[in-house]
Amino acid sequence: MRALIAIAVFGRVLAAECEPSRLGEKETLARFQQLDQEAQAAFEQKQYAVAARHYREAACLVPKSARAFYGLGTAEAAAGNFPAAREALESADALLSGNVMPLTMLVRVNVAMKDIEKVKGVLRSAATRFPNNAELHSGLARFLAENQLLDLALAESLRFEQTGTSDAESAVALAALENTVGAYHDAIRTAGAVTNDPAAPDAIKASAAGVAGLSYESIGRRDEAIQQLKLAIQRAPAQENSYLALAFLYEKSKKFGDAVQVLEQARQRASETPAVLLALGNNLVWAEEYQRGEAVLNELLQKDSSIAEAYVRLSEAYRSTNRPDLEMQTLQKLARVKPDYPMVHVLTAQVMLRMDPVDYNGVLQELARAEKATPNDADVFYLRGKAYIAQNRLSEAITALKRAIELRPVDSGAYYQLGLTYRKLGRAELAREMLQRVEYLKQAPGAP
Amino acid sequence: MTRRELIFLPGACSMLGQALASSEPQNLSFPLESIDGRLTSPDQFFVRDHFSEPELSIRTWRLKIEGRVSRPTELSFADLLESPTKKLEAVLECAGNRAGGSAVSNGLWEGAPLANLLQDTGVDRDAAMVVLYGGDSGRVMDTSPTLPYCQVVPLAKCMRPESLVAFKLNDRFLPRKNGFPARALFPGWYAMDSVKWLQRIVILGPHERASDFETSRMNEVYNRIVASNSGERKITRLSELLVKSAIAWPGDQSKLPAARHMIRGFAWTGSSRIRVVELSADGGRTWSPATLDHPAHSFSWIRWDFAWDAKPGEHVLMSRATDDAGRQQPLVRDPARKDGYELNFCAPVRCFVR
Repeated sequence: MRALIAIAVFGRVLAAECEPSRLGEKETLARFQQLDQEAQAAFEQKQYAVAARHYREAACLVPKSARAFYGLGTAEAAAGNFPAAREALESADALLSGNVMPLTMLVRVNVAMKDIEKVKGVLRSAATRFPNNAELHSGLARFLAENQLLDLALAESLRFEQTGTSDAESAVALAALENTVGAYHDAIRTAGAVTNDPAAPDAIKASAAGVAGLSYESIGRRDEAIQQLKLAIQRAPAQENSYLALAFLYEKSKKFGDAVQVLEQARQRASETPAVLLALGNNLVWAEEYQRGEAVLNELLQKDSSIAEAYVRLSEAYRSTNRPDLEMQTLQKLARVKPDYPMVHVLTAQVMLRMDPVDYNGVLQELARAEKATPNDADVFYLRGKAYIAQNRLSEAITALKRAIELRPVDSGAYYQLGLTYRKLGRAELAREMLQRVEYLKQAPGAP
Repeated sequence: MTRRELIFLPGACSMLGQALASSEPQNLSFPLESIDGRLTSPDQFFVRDHFSEPELSIRTWRLKIEGRVSRPTELSFADLLESPTKKLEAVLECAGNRAGGSAVSNGLWEGAPLANLLQDTGVDRDAAMVVLYGGDSGRVMDTSPTLPYCQVVPLAKCMRPESLVAFKLNDRFLPRKNGFPARALFPGWYAMDSVKWLQRIVILGPHERASDFETSRMNEVYNRIVASNSGERKITRLSELLVKSAIAWPGDQSKLPAARHMIRGFAWTGSSRIRVVELSADGGRTWSPATLDHPAHSFSWIRWDFAWDAKPGEHVLMSRATDDAGRQQPLVRDPARKDGYELNFCAPVRCFVR
């Protein structure tokens, strides 16, 4: 019935293009074979439009030929003519309903057309007609995952798993998908089965342990996450990701020394990629091992000068060791490499205000740049107010500080500076009012 | 009073709050102040469990649809993922959420339209009601037997285009506490009908009784009780959300400096759309319109803000929402109401300004 409908529908489309044939049965067969050979040859030479023309003619000659429609569909798809490819493949599928090839191609064509509802329709049909075809469902899962259609990849992985032919590698792929989509308990169960499988190779077990570690972390079971990631490292010491993941968990627990240890191991046993160096540099700084941290971060920036986070951490190291010159230079480099990095000008202005002597005009210029980037940042006006106070430009300071208060009315800093300014101007009543607000805000639970 | 009975008490959503975060069943809510943007992040979504959360697997999860249908069906999670789906933004509110309370959240949901799933099974023409069962079970009252959580919803609501079997929240699969792997979602209705961990749907004929619903005594909770002057009590089932708003910032009893402050909050309603939100800084004597952050949509909440020039003194802030259907939040609770649900009156927020 499906075949009849497909022929009726596509037949109408073809009929308009097909010239009536006057060939007899034998000549029709010979002509069909010739067209088929010519189409294949054109396809192999990547002349897809020519191949499509031959297949189309073949389909006109033999409208019940699934081969002609399938060939037409693949040629049209290769030529990038997806609507025509879909029509031909639907006909091929209807004519060849026991074969998975037209369905598989239909999924690819619908994915290329970004027609997800159609993709789902084809997948439902595949599930109904070929529930136990493991190769079909695993192949579809892989293809859909490659195309970032993770929900559908998960669905096909589940269908594959239900065929009962899943192996350790596919199980890890399923666990990774389950983890990615947030099915953490499922991911832990699936990965656990692999790590406990004595026949699974070490590299696969390591991946499974890594997935389990990430899933445990996502459900807030950090100890088990750490245990799994250690297992992953033990099973496959050359896999960098497990070290990075484990170090990240230590970092989140503020165990920076442990993170450093793990990342040093990664450097020795796995690789010295920018990701490892950045994580190591970060954790050395947070562990207050500034000298080593600076060395690692500088080494990283020599390899790749575009890593913004490395500049930020390096400036943090210089700030912590009271070297404002180096801190400012680092932030200025960051501003050159990433001019739109959030708050870079405010950070630079803050450093400049800590230098001795302070270049107030430089500070104001930096704040003007900051205001251009973020015109409603209360910090810009607060710092500007402080710079004006230092320059004794008190009425300008008042304007800036009032703006800071308008933008962030529950921050006591601006009131304090405003109070000092009023005091300098001899306006004692206003000064007292502002300083009282500072006290009031310190007790207030209403601040956001 | 048992803990379970406490949970079923109207208003318990807010009373329990985070204090019971680690115990089962979970009851969590988070200050509205902490919500950035329009959507509530899954980790801040309110939770009000009735029984312990079941541990379900997407491998073994099935949704049975049976009863007055010509083709009883059992869907796998893969079937659900490969069904036509729909995305919509919708607010969920606990029926017992107090005025100004935070047992309310707004999410972007994705799922299969329930109408499609029911139509595929060939629902009988005379079907009227639908029983939805969750994967969690327990005793509603001390005297009732252990049964799965279930609710009864009219078929007409199930067939509405917005009603879903949802499996995603804010583009991620549902967290376990929010009904993983799939839950019912009835936008515009109080949250108890949006059954979490959905596993079974039974279609009832016009004269059939929902025996589990009655035996479990679930039919005795989530009811509106209105007393007449003669003392007679009229009991009806809760369903559609009432129009409501809440002030997210400042919090009650806040101490603020005299300055211009941006008051902000949320407003929502059932089947209609929010038309206006007003703010009073004098306990409801005078009102001024707040600014709505974006055009109002059916079923989702709306953010609003109001620039308030706070002068020294004690102030009582209140917000009041009105929807397109002309419904407006009352200033006080209807004294005829004898239950503790649908608490949508304007909640006072006291502020001390110096």
